[in-house]
Amino acid sequence: MGNKIDIKNILDLTANKLNSLEFDDFAITANRGNRSQLRFADSQITIAKNWASLELGVFASKDSKTVAVEIQDLSENSIISALESLEKLAKSLPPNQNYFGISDGPFSYPAIEYLADTDFVEFHDRSIDQVEGAINAAEAEGAKRSAGVLAWEVKEEHLLSSKGANVSENSTSYEFSIRSFIDETSSGADVEVGRLFSKVDFERAGTRAGEIAKMAIGGTNGDPGKYNILLEPRVAADVVAATPGAANPFMVDIGMSWLKDKIGEPIGPELVSVYDDALLPNGLGSKSFDEEGHPTGRNVIVEKGILKGFIHNTSTAKKAGTTSTGNAGLVLPQNSNVFFEPGEHTFEELLELTKGKPTLYITNNWYTRFTSYADGIFSSIPRDGMFIIKNGEVSEPVRELRISDTMGNIFKNITALGKEIKQIKSWEVNVPTFIPHVLIEDINISAATK
Amino acid sequence: MPSSSYDLAEKAIEEGEKLGAQYIEARYVNSMSNTSILKNGVPELGAIARSNGIGIRVLKDGGVGFASFNEMTKEEMSIAVAFATKMAEATGKRRSKKIVFSDEKIHDVKFEALGESGKRPFEVDPEAKINRLMGIDKLLAELKTNAVIPFRFFQMLDETERKYIITNEGAKIESEIDRLQLFGIVVAVNPTTGSKEQIMIQKGKTGGLESLDYWKIEDFVTKEATKLGKIVTESKEAPTGIIDYVVGPNVIGIMCHENTGHPTEGDRILGREGAQAGESYLKEDMIGQQIGSEHVTIIDDPTIEGSYGYYLYDDEGVKAGPRYLHNKGIFEEMLHNRESAAWMGTNSTAAARAIGFNREPIPRMANTYLAPGTFEYEELFEDVKLGVFMNNFTEWNIDDRRYQSKYVGLEAYLIENGEIKHMVRRPVVETTTPKLWGSVDAVAKEKYLEFDAATCGKGDPMQGAPVYHGGSFMRIRNVEVR
Repeated sequence: MGNKIDIKNILDLTANKLNSLEFDDFAITANRGNRSQLRFADSQITIAKNWASLELGVFASKDSKTVAVEIQDLSENSIISALESLEKLAKSLPPNQNYFGISDGPFSYPAIEYLADTDFVEFHDRSIDQVEGAINAAEAEGAKRSAGVLAWEVKEEHLLSSKGANVSENSTSYEFSIRSFIDETSSGADVEVGRLFSKVDFERAGTRAGEIAKMAIGGTNGDPGKYNILLEPRVAADVVAATPGAANPFMVDIGMSWLKDKIGEPIGPELVSVYDDALLPNGLGSKSFDEEGHPTGRNVIVEKGILKGFIHNTSTAKKAGTTSTGNAGLVLPQNSNVFFEPGEHTFEELLELTKGKPTLYITNNWYTRFTSYADGIFSSIPRDGMFIIKNGEVSEPVRELRISDTMGNIFKNITALGKEIKQIKSWEVNVPTFIPHVLIEDINISAATK
Repeated sequence: MPSSSYDLAEKAIEEGEKLGAQYIEARYVNSMSNTSILKNGVPELGAIARSNGIGIRVLKDGGVGFASFNEMTKEEMSIAVAFATKMAEATGKRRSKKIVFSDEKIHDVKFEALGESGKRPFEVDPEAKINRLMGIDKLLAELKTNAVIPFRFFQMLDETERKYIITNEGAKIESEIDRLQLFGIVVAVNPTTGSKEQIMIQKGKTGGLESLDYWKIEDFVTKEATKLGKIVTESKEAPTGIIDYVVGPNVIGIMCHENTGHPTEGDRILGREGAQAGESYLKEDMIGQQIGSEHVTIIDDPTIEGSYGYYLYDDEGVKAGPRYLHNKGIFEEMLHNRESAAWMGTNSTAAARAIGFNREPIPRMANTYLAPGTFEYEELFEDVKLGVFMNNFTEWNIDDRRYQSKYVGLEAYLIENGEIKHMVRRPVVETTTPKLWGSVDAVAKEKYLEFDAATCGKGDPMQGAPVYHGGSFMRIRNVEVR
């Protein structure tokens, strides 16, 4: 592979050109990755994919005019031409009054455990067997067919800034999802994600998907009304973690967050504490530097139910009178990993807590959409096994119901958290989220009319 | 396009054949885009993107392999072809049911959809683009309504995409398409009650910056924001019970897309998207079944000139034309690529789309709409005793089989004894797809037909496809509203 483009050369070429064009600030990222994927459906692999990619990204400012370029066309001429276009673009823009520079060095970066797995090399050869193992595990529970995805990646990321950042990091990751069917509407799903290939256990996910599908057989249409809801981590990572995800000043500014003016106020019960934590071992969002080259860290979002703060880049922090949390993205601050402090309860204890109250156990969901982001009014559709809990036991399967409530109610009405945390990243959940089972009271559930 | 990239694509075909690929396609895509982002009137970012790469797809021994690269060297190409071929073979050997592609007519053609001269994305000065966008924002900031509009976000993206597709069957499709997209979020607040309402503005079209004039964008955004102000200050509670609905082009469009376009995708029906976008309540053996009333004809047509989902040949080189998904209420056609078509023993309906060189071509919608009917607009309201006129929507929500959906109205009015009365707040239609289409008893004429643009999400990794959806006006009878 002697002809591969030298990353150091393109970083230097880009920095020299940006300096000669007299940009004030810049942060250059160069990421090379090799990502592979096996997709399967009807219990057979439908396609194997591989992406070899090298991408150059630049954020730059000149006279407070902020511009960016993403380049996948990496010949020297293309890079120079794109940067010259960038300078022309910067000249044409009015100043960005919300811009206050990028993070200034010198920097010291945190060490993060288990970002890259040195045993990764052998994984490629084992991948088909791994997928088939999970499919077989689902079939052992009675599944007639399974669909899903296994993706894995090796990545090197480099960043060079005009303020002294010069850092790089290697990482590996895998994401596995499986959805198993016994009949058309009796299905179950699970995910397994992480960075350490030696710890993968996709059969466990297959077994769980098959178990839920088996429990869902014979489901009938549920009745709309008020319920307590017990959420699998997969669901909680979407509808419960949406609230710490809305602790973003950019989203507040554009009316897409329900947390405006809520810092310092109680938004949940005392048992809930949530962090944005870029330092978690094995976390898919773990990283030692953000897109300004600022060191990342662990930042409290919710402490004992009180909204303590937002994630920030240098500019949003300055505007809010605080300091960067190391969450800079290209345009807006971005979460790394969202981490919920675990509760005290086993799953069985959570079931016990539901006694005497109409409770729905929701194992999966999708399609969360908002009537009003600013008020957090939303709907989301449970999919796969959903069950009524009676006398502390998961009993009859139900279908065709929809969560129709507000994000404020969801968070405020949390009554208990499980003690076991699972990392979730899925088709519906973009931000890696560490979260246990969550029990929530008094939530509105609607249903379609026939 | 650089001849070296053509050469690399052509050499990939030769290498794949040497390695025993039964079918190999190479898709070279070069894309240039410009984005302007405006937050509450402040230019947050001007951005440029330059993308260039080749995607290789191989069918061998009943398996499919895909590999892409953007370091445009012969070595990278060889690695990609070798991977795609090896993995097609390795996975195909394990399959009991072998993947095949349908036989299709081979084409060697070029097509294009370009902006007007002087208005193409790279011909217009960036300053003119940002000034136009800031002018739109200023209109809203200074708009006189009873409400305030404190939250405004706009993103305008223009792009030119050049594509060259070549297969070992002899297909050669070269295309060049300009597109313009405007996305916005505007929130109005009642200063007295604090009540808020949002609108998402999404406009898209093939072509250049002349599209802004085609949309009369300043008038459009001003009108929508004015209505938003009225909603938060004047609207009253929506009626419940069993009532009639008249819905506008924006609502019909999303219903056609979600309740019919998605469940007629061949790959969903086969379960290939089962773990992601989901499956379908429609099955292969339901072709010919009555799904809706005789007033419901839903067409998906990629060849509508100027449309956001425009193409003449799909990403497998198959010639496109209108697909009658439902014809007079009957489930008639599916959206197929060559793989899903072969499973069902039929032909592709030219629905294969890949969003970028690094994505596989899968069945997608293009421009989906309810065929116009014979009614005048006024006639739809005449004998409605109690109902709601929902002109556009805010929230939409649907299950992954596309069977039960929920639509929440934005600009909506009470209909009483045939007359449109005051505004009503957030009326909800939450019903099943057969009930929805089965309750349509009137559709307005072609002169009322309008389209909206959207970015349709599907696939893993996600592929956001530019689409149109629309209709005229339609009446739905006896919908239960809780």
